[in-house]
Formats: sequence, structure tokens, C-alpha cells
Amino acid sequence: MSGAGIKEPILELRDIVFGYKLRRGENIRIFDGLSLDVKYAEFVGIAGPSGCGKSTLIRIMAGLIKPEKGEVLFRGKPLKKPTPRIGIMFQNPALFPWYTVLENIMLALIHEKDLSEKDKIERARVFLDMVGLTAFESAYPAELSGGMKARVALARALVSQPDLLLMDEPFSNLDQLTAISLRREVESLWLNQSMPPSSVVMVSHDIEELVELSDRIIVLTKRPAKIAGIIEVDLDRPRQRRSPEFYKYVDEVYTLLS
Amino acid sequence: MAILEELLTILVAVGISWARMTAALIISIIFSLCVGILAAVDRVAEKIIIPVLDILQSIPILSFFPIALYAFIIIHPVIGPELAAIFLIFTSQAWNITFGVYKNVRLIPLELLEASKALDLSLWRRLSSLYIPAAFPGIASNLPPSWANGLYFLVACEIISIGEVEWSLPGIGTLSTSYIMAGRMIEFIMSLAAVVAAVILTNLLVFIPLMRLSERYKFEERAAEIPRVWIEKVSGWLSRVARRISFSVSPRITLFELRIPWKASRILLIAVLTIMVALLGHSISGRVSAEVTLAWAQDVVEAFQRLGVVDPLVMIGFSLARVSAAVAFGLLWTLPVAILIYEKRTLEKILIPPFQVIASFPATLILPLIAKTVMDLGLPLELGAFLMILLGTQWYLLFFLLDGLRSIPYEEEEVCKALAMTRLQKLRHLYLPRILPSLIMGLIVCFGGGWNTLVIAERAVLGGFTWDLRAPGIGRMLSIAVDEGDLALLIAATIWMAGFIVLLNRLLWRRLYEKAVRIVGVA
Repeated sequence: MSGAGIKEPILELRDIVFGYKLRRGENIRIFDGLSLDVKYAEFVGIAGPSGCGKSTLIRIMAGLIKPEKGEVLFRGKPLKKPTPRIGIMFQNPALFPWYTVLENIMLALIHEKDLSEKDKIERARVFLDMVGLTAFESAYPAELSGGMKARVALARALVSQPDLLLMDEPFSNLDQLTAISLRREVESLWLNQSMPPSSVVMVSHDIEELVELSDRIIVLTKRPAKIAGIIEVDLDRPRQRRSPEFYKYVDEVYTLLS
Repeated sequence: MAILEELLTILVAVGISWARMTAALIISIIFSLCVGILAAVDRVAEKIIIPVLDILQSIPILSFFPIALYAFIIIHPVIGPELAAIFLIFTSQAWNITFGVYKNVRLIPLELLEASKALDLSLWRRLSSLYIPAAFPGIASNLPPSWANGLYFLVACEIISIGEVEWSLPGIGTLSTSYIMAGRMIEFIMSLAAVVAAVILTNLLVFIPLMRLSERYKFEERAAEIPRVWIEKVSGWLSRVARRISFSVSPRITLFELRIPWKASRILLIAVLTIMVALLGHSISGRVSAEVTLAWAQDVVEAFQRLGVVDPLVMIGFSLARVSAAVAFGLLWTLPVAILIYEKRTLEKILIPPFQVIASFPATLILPLIAKTVMDLGLPLELGAFLMILLGTQWYLLFFLLDGLRSIPYEEEEVCKALAMTRLQKLRHLYLPRILPSLIMGLIVCFGGGWNTLVIAERAVLGGFTWDLRAPGIGRMLSIAVDEGDLALLIAATIWMAGFIVLLNRLLWRRLYEKAVRIVGVA
């Protein structure tokens, strides 16, 4: 599926300009000509001081927000609006409370006109199984724990078999243990060649989490955000948080942030 | 000169009516604070107050006005009608404010309640530093609808005739109806314009600043935003003034702090309320002997026998069909408009202020005009009734739908966007489920308004002529009973109507609402 050349970019941001207008008429520049690439089969982490526009950046990558100027290229073509080829997982799981777990996942197959209802159920079940929630397919979101909701959100982001998975602080609302196991799952899914996604972009304020998962960490500056530095993390997976090498990378990110 | 003089007359009439409404509103606020807070903090009181309020707000106000009028004339023959009018307006304003207070006090975060318990705050301290500030947004946001509601009934209660006796209180309702009946259209339009101007000014100078001020007292982070309009430049300074006043007043309040322990004060509060009710009852019963009361009861029983069972049911059936038709039509246009306004923020800024003004404009002022036009042009009478009910209900629907749409969490919007849903898919998967509770609430309020309008829309005596559908209807029955001065028949018909409405609320609306809340998963 993602068989294109390994070092080819799957997503390119070219000279992105974006700002908000305050009520008083003041303009706040978030990005003033930001460019970056995400390559095939790559796990990219994005770090930056709070308020620098990390969440806005991920929304621009998803096609949810249109930049004022600049281009977003997805697989070489301009990205005009959200596509099922890009999955996104928000900080808040945002499941629809009136649908069951399975129905919530099936919602992401809304555009698959070729699939029959039965196929959709089957496909949704595969991904539900993948996140380990098979027994909960007819439960409603209100009956789930925070970690389970995050798993459902992950399954929903992946069920359309996207090439790119975007994650906006996906583990920040979870307790430590749940976050650890979910991080492992995301990593093994990404490493699994036969399963989507090919590439992952994750925004996080947890530096250790970024070093644990990313091939490359892009560190942004304060507003208007520019790239403060890019760190290639060259450690074997699964990475050990206790090792001195690991901390060398963590310190490197902190240095760039401050 | 004549026009100027007339204008002065109109302005004075508006002033008198506004004073009447203000008196009723102040009583409503005091009532809502006492009753609403009590219901929110005391489990036993809650079990009594909420169902009683629920029934009270389902009874068509206009049907019990003549009964209230009798009661107040017994209390005092001269100011009785004035008191009755204020009472009627109060009954149209108080319930929703009380529910607002109740809801907001119930929503006080547990931590705050526990903190005030830990600090062992006295009654006054609890009221002034926790319950009243918490209730404030509930009061402020209910002021405009309450005012509109009061205005609606103001027109109806300024002129009333029971049998041979007719009372007319000075005010804009009396004045504008007299213009219509005399065919003085210019003066009538002038009086409408004066009411519109007064409504706008009241909203700008009083309600909007209060609502703005109340934003600070809300617990939820994502408070529904009141559309900001140019108008605010006018009212902005007033809200600033109000804020300053509130700062300078609050420390002084604490000086009067009463040292009553909390537990004892709860009993005290219940006792005060009981005494108030008892005094009111006594002042009426003191002037009415037991025999008279017994004779009345016999009359009412006899009136029930006269009405039978089939006739009232047929009348209610016809009335229900009329209200349903109007509400269905209202829904047909308000749903798409509400979605349009919700999706286009710019439209909200343009459309909402005029909608609010039109909505708060009392439809009762135009009812005589509709009646006269329909009759003069020989249009079907049912069309007139349909228009009157529609005017009395459609705005509720629009605002409830908008409220439901605005409660949609931003994350859910974003998910729909990320899944690239079409508008139709979004309507089905997000909008409809999300607005379901508010839609049902809106329908309940709408039907309530519809039943009220029926009392005028099916039959009304308007000075010189009588508007009469000449088809079965429970509202018509009430109007006939009032006209003939048959109080017993009026009470019987009111009980039929109110009983049916309460039953409908319990068996249909309440269940639907609870089901919707269960599906959507929010309270």
C-alpha cells in the first residue's frame, strides 16, 4: 500500500502562513512561513512551547484548517480537505455518546460506498479486536474508561486504513499505566508493515514520550513558530527509558526548547 | 399637535404597563430565589416543589385569571384588579426563572458545596456567597423570555370582562386594543412601535448587561456566547457600571451577616414560606363564609355534570389538532433556519438581534388585528387561529433549537469534519441526536404557549366584536364561560384542560425527554 520510495515525503508543508484575529483587531501570527516534511514509514514527533501552535499544525496537516498562505501536499497532491487516507486522533476521544463502540468506529467508513453494511461491521470488528476491545462492541462510550475510549478513538482513526496517522496529545488525558500500554500498541501497529498506518505524526508536550516513539523530533519555537531544530533519534526499538542514551536525546530536546 | 398628544398618551401607557411588569418581575425574582434555592438544596422540598411547579406551568394562565380576579377583588375591591393583573403577569414570569435558579444551584460543583460545609458558613453567608451568585446566571438568562412572556399576558389582563362587569386597567394593552376597535390604524401602529422601542431599550439597558455580568458566575467553561452586536457599545458602559456597583455592594452585604446556623435556617425558610401561604389563604377565606364555599363546590360539581365527558374530549381533540398543526409548521421553518444560523456565525450576528426583538414582541397585541383582518377579508377562521398560535409559539422553537446546536461540543464538530461528512450525514449523525433534548424541551414549551394562545385564538371578545371559530375547542369553552360569568363552568373547563395538559406532559413529553437524554447521554 505504502510501497513508494522509503525516503519520499508522504506529507509536505510548504511556507505555511497562519494567524488568528483577536476581537480587538490584533493579529496573532502562529506560522510565518513554516515548511516541513513527513516521510513514508516515518514516526515524527513534534515538540514546542505551549501555545506555539502544535495543535493548529496538526489540524493543518489533517486539512481541518486551511492555511492563509502556503501549500499542504499529501502524496504529492495538494490537500484541500480532510480525507479518509489521513486518520486523526484528538486529545479528547470525542466519541458520539448515542452510538455504540462499533457504530462509532463504523462512522469512519461513511465514505466507503463499495462496502456493504456487513463488510463495514466486519472491518470495524477487525480494528476493535486490534485495540483489544472485542468484548465491548455493543457498549456505549459512557460505559467505558478513559483508556478504553482512547482505544476506540484509535480504532476509529485507523479503520479507514489511512497512510498517515495524526495524533494530537493522544495520551495526555490518560493515567500512566494506560498511556504506557497504548504507546506500545501504537508503536507495534506502526511497525507492522501489513497494517496501517505507514507514517505517524504525534504532537506532545511529554518529551520522553516523543523520544520513546519518534524517528525524528521536530522542535518548534515560540510564536510565530519556526523550526528550532530537528533531532534524529537513533535508538533500537523498543526503547528503554532508563538508558543514558535515551536521556541524551531528552536533554537535547530540552536544550532546543529553552 | 394631535399626534404629539397621542404619542404622549402612548408613552404614558407604556410606562404604566412597564411599571406593572417590573413589579411582577421583582416578585418573580424573590419567589424564584426562595423556592428555587430551597428545591435545589433540600431533598424533601425538591420532591414537593418541582412537581407542583411543573403542574403550575402547564396550566394555561389565561384560564385561571378570572378565578384569580375574583379572589383579589375579595381581598380588596379597588386595587383588586391591579393586584390580579400583577399576579397574572407574575405567574407568566416566575416558573422559568425558578427552574433556572433551581438548575444553576443544582449545578454547583460538589467541591464548592463541600468547601462551604467545611467552612460552616451561616445561612446568609451561604446565600450571599454561594447560592445567589450561582443562581444569578439562571435568573439573568431567563429575564428576556420572562419579560416577553409577561408582556404577552399583560395585554390580555388589562382588559377583562366577566359577564356584565368589565375592568380595564390603564396601560398599553387597553390603549392599543381601543385603537384597533376604533379603526385608528396610525395610532395603533404608533403604539406597536412604542412597545418595540421599549422592549429593545429594556433588553439593551437592563437584560443584556445583566447577562453579560452573569457570565462571570457560570461554572461551565464553554458558556454559550451571547452574540455581540453594535448595540453593546450603548450598553457596554452600563454593564461596567453594574459591575462596579456589584463590587462596592458585596462587602457591605457581609456586614449584615446573620448568625443563623445552616440546619436551623432550613427549617426557618420552610416555616416562612408556610406562613406566607397560610396568610394569603387566610386573607381570602376570612372574607368568604363556609356556606359560600360549599355552594361554590356544588356549582363546580354541577358544571362538570353539565359538561359531560364526550364534549370536553372532542373540544380538546380539536384544540390539540390546531396547536399541533401550528407547531409542526413552526418546526418546518425553524429547524433549517436554526442550523443555518448555527453554521454561519456572521448570520447569527445579523439575524439574532432582530429575531430576539420580534420574539419578545407580544403577539397578543396583534391578535385583534389578525382577527379583524381575517373577518373583514372573509378568510377561513381556522387560518386566523393557526396564525395566532404560530405567532405565539414559533420563536420558542427557534431559540431552543439554537440552544441545542450551540451545546454541541467542538470536538464532535471536528470529528465530523475529519471524517469529511456531508451536510446530510452531519445532520443525521450529529445535529439531530444532539438537539433532541432541546427539541423536545422546545416542543413542550411550544405546546404550553399554544394552549395559552388557544384561550384567545378560538374565541375572544374584543370590545365591539366577537372573534369566534364556531367550531369545537376547549379554549372557546373557557372564553364562553368567562363571557357568561359562569365561574363554576370556567373552573370545570380549566380543570379539564389543565388535567389533559398535565397528563400529556407526564405520559408523552416527559418520557420522550428522558429517553432523549438517555440516548444523548447528557443531563
